[in-house]
Amino acid sequence: MAEVIIRQTGQRIVCEDGANLLETLLGAGIFVDNPCNGKGKCGKCKVKVEGETLLSCLTEVHGRMEVETLHKERKHKVLTKGYLPEFEKDAYDGGYGIVIDIGTTTVVTGLIDLQTGKELANASMINAQKHFGLDVLTRITYEYEHPETGIQELQEAIVNSINGMLREVCDEAGVAKEEICEIDVAANCTMMHMLLGVDARSIGRSPYKPEFLEAKMLKAKEIGIEAGDDTVLYCLPQVSAYIGADIVAGAYVCEMQKEKGNVLFIDIGTNGEIVLASDGRLMCCSCAAGPALEGMNISAGMRAAEGAIEDVKITEHGVEVVTIGDQNPVGICGSGILAVVKELLRTGLVKKNGAFIKKEKLKEEDYRYPMIRLNGTKREFILHKEANLFVTQGDVRQVQLAKGAILSGFVALLNKAGISMDDLDKVMIAGQFGAHLPADSLVGTGILPEAVKDKLVYVGNSSKTGAYMTLMSKKVKREVEELAAKMDYMELAETDNYERVFTESMIFPAF
Amino acid sequence: MAVSKEELLKRLSDGVLEMEEDDVVEAAKEYLEAGYPAFDGIMEGLVDGMNRASELYEAEEYFVTDVLLCSDAMYVGLDVLRPHLPEVSSDAKVKGVIGVVEGDTHDIGKNLVKIMMETAGFEMIDLGRDVELQKFVDVAKEEKVDLVCMSTLMTTTMGGMETVIHLLEEAGIRDQVKVMIGGGPISQKFADKIGADAYTTNAVEAVKCAKKMLNIA
Repeated sequence: MAEVIIRQTGQRIVCEDGANLLETLLGAGIFVDNPCNGKGKCGKCKVKVEGETLLSCLTEVHGRMEVETLHKERKHKVLTKGYLPEFEKDAYDGGYGIVIDIGTTTVVTGLIDLQTGKELANASMINAQKHFGLDVLTRITYEYEHPETGIQELQEAIVNSINGMLREVCDEAGVAKEEICEIDVAANCTMMHMLLGVDARSIGRSPYKPEFLEAKMLKAKEIGIEAGDDTVLYCLPQVSAYIGADIVAGAYVCEMQKEKGNVLFIDIGTNGEIVLASDGRLMCCSCAAGPALEGMNISAGMRAAEGAIEDVKITEHGVEVVTIGDQNPVGICGSGILAVVKELLRTGLVKKNGAFIKKEKLKEEDYRYPMIRLNGTKREFILHKEANLFVTQGDVRQVQLAKGAILSGFVALLNKAGISMDDLDKVMIAGQFGAHLPADSLVGTGILPEAVKDKLVYVGNSSKTGAYMTLMSKKVKREVEELAAKMDYMELAETDNYERVFTESMIFPAF
Repeated sequence: MAVSKEELLKRLSDGVLEMEEDDVVEAAKEYLEAGYPAFDGIMEGLVDGMNRASELYEAEEYFVTDVLLCSDAMYVGLDVLRPHLPEVSSDAKVKGVIGVVEGDTHDIGKNLVKIMMETAGFEMIDLGRDVELQKFVDVAKEEKVDLVCMSTLMTTTMGGMETVIHLLEEAGIRDQVKVMIGGGPISQKFADKIGADAYTTNAVEAVKCAKKMLNIA
């Protein structure tokens, strides 16, 4: 027999001598993050044992072991993988609510018991509008090209998806869909227009002016959502064509309206949206990062799926890759391409201007020499020879463009607020994609500057969390609407010297 | 002892290539003080540096932003040398009008094409971004241009290029100009569909293509 004592709570867990520590902790209901499920790979299940930090999944319990867990389980973790602040919920006698986050790529739904605030079931799916184009602009173009039917077709696609997910979560929880009192939706501005069947065409062209920005409250059945006859649909407010309700929700969840200091919120994706709270002032902008960070436009790129390389290390002994699901590598996803660029920079294979080092400048005995090959005159990094995967100069340039776009938005906001990187107290990273980008990669590629490395906070799907908060509280609805009105939008392309800021933001960090 | 002309030309060229604005200004001033002709300083110094930069761009050694920084250095050098050029009529130059079509405000690619075309000796009239479609035609007519260059980064606005071609036809000057298009969503297929004369994927190609179409060596 052996025993584990949790230092923080004094809780005692008795187990077999030699038992696996992670399993013991999880078995006792203690939260330890373990994305790789005990493979000793992700490094997330660290705990402190007698002052030493260890991976719990690789540790055996012998005798009496005092353990300090390092991460607290977030409250309502079941609701979303994201941060949820304390807030006062309205008192409901019963009934159910639905929260929805409509992303351009994925849609996430949760069924909430209004009385307890608990999420009873959730579902997610690929946005069915993908048939009309993968990105918002292509879908808007569809509306231009099909002025008679486009708006309706796009609306039907998303409404059908939502109806499908409603049936799914209601079935799972054994709830009749007529018992749904309210549905709260956060989405980007284009998705919100398309959900409500509003013409989105003006979003796609300068001066990028949407048809509406305000929060909407209507009957869900008006747009074809199959719930109760009186089910209310609440759509969170928006700031501009490229700062939608999803970002307002995120800013609210991060309590930026209450921040006294300087806090930056960033949602990294095809569009990078950035909000800065500086001494009570709120500013925001959006930058076109392109799809490179999601593995698109990259020669060996793929979406994050089994077999995608998600982490890369370059050592003197060769190139080590980690794939999703521990499969044979078939391509590289967004987090992988960032990791590889970070490593190329760290080892000097790519210079800070983004160009590959010339092979002839390396000595033949240099460990990096065999890692570069010439394809014609173009230099390429051999990522995985057997799988025929390479990183081209063009790939590095795509990442460089994305990095330049995001960092330039960041810098432009700081310039406008008249503060420097060092003045920032916190940087909140939102979004599903951001959640997979470690600080090492974000800072190592210079997407975010070194100065903020220790200030990063990952908040997960803050869009859905924001919809949850408005669902649970009328006061939050009011505050979210006030927040949206207070957020000052800055059009990057129209700021002075933007091209210069962008050009400077393109330079990679030097090691 | 006076510095040789070759040495100063090399400093001008290197300064552009290495994006060193201060070095370029200094070299340009010394060059004028030594009494060498401004025209050679521009062509064999500044433009030579820019040409070397575009070679590196083609070889993927330099990127868009590097070339933009090189051009900054070239333009500060031009500001010093240009006032010392002898008066020549500008009619000798091949003229083009360039802009980002209505509805789009992304202009970095357009700027790069403009710089490369100017470096190659074209006179470019830059209409900027989010340019009203009729304006391309009006300016083309007034200025008797040889080239109409349009760019866009967005699928929502690329249709405007086709409209400009129709407007050129209506104005009766379609066969007097070559229409060149470019930008993220543009393809050869799209260029064929709307009846543009040329599509190129980058600024260096654009220059080569323009020269070829207009039979300029």
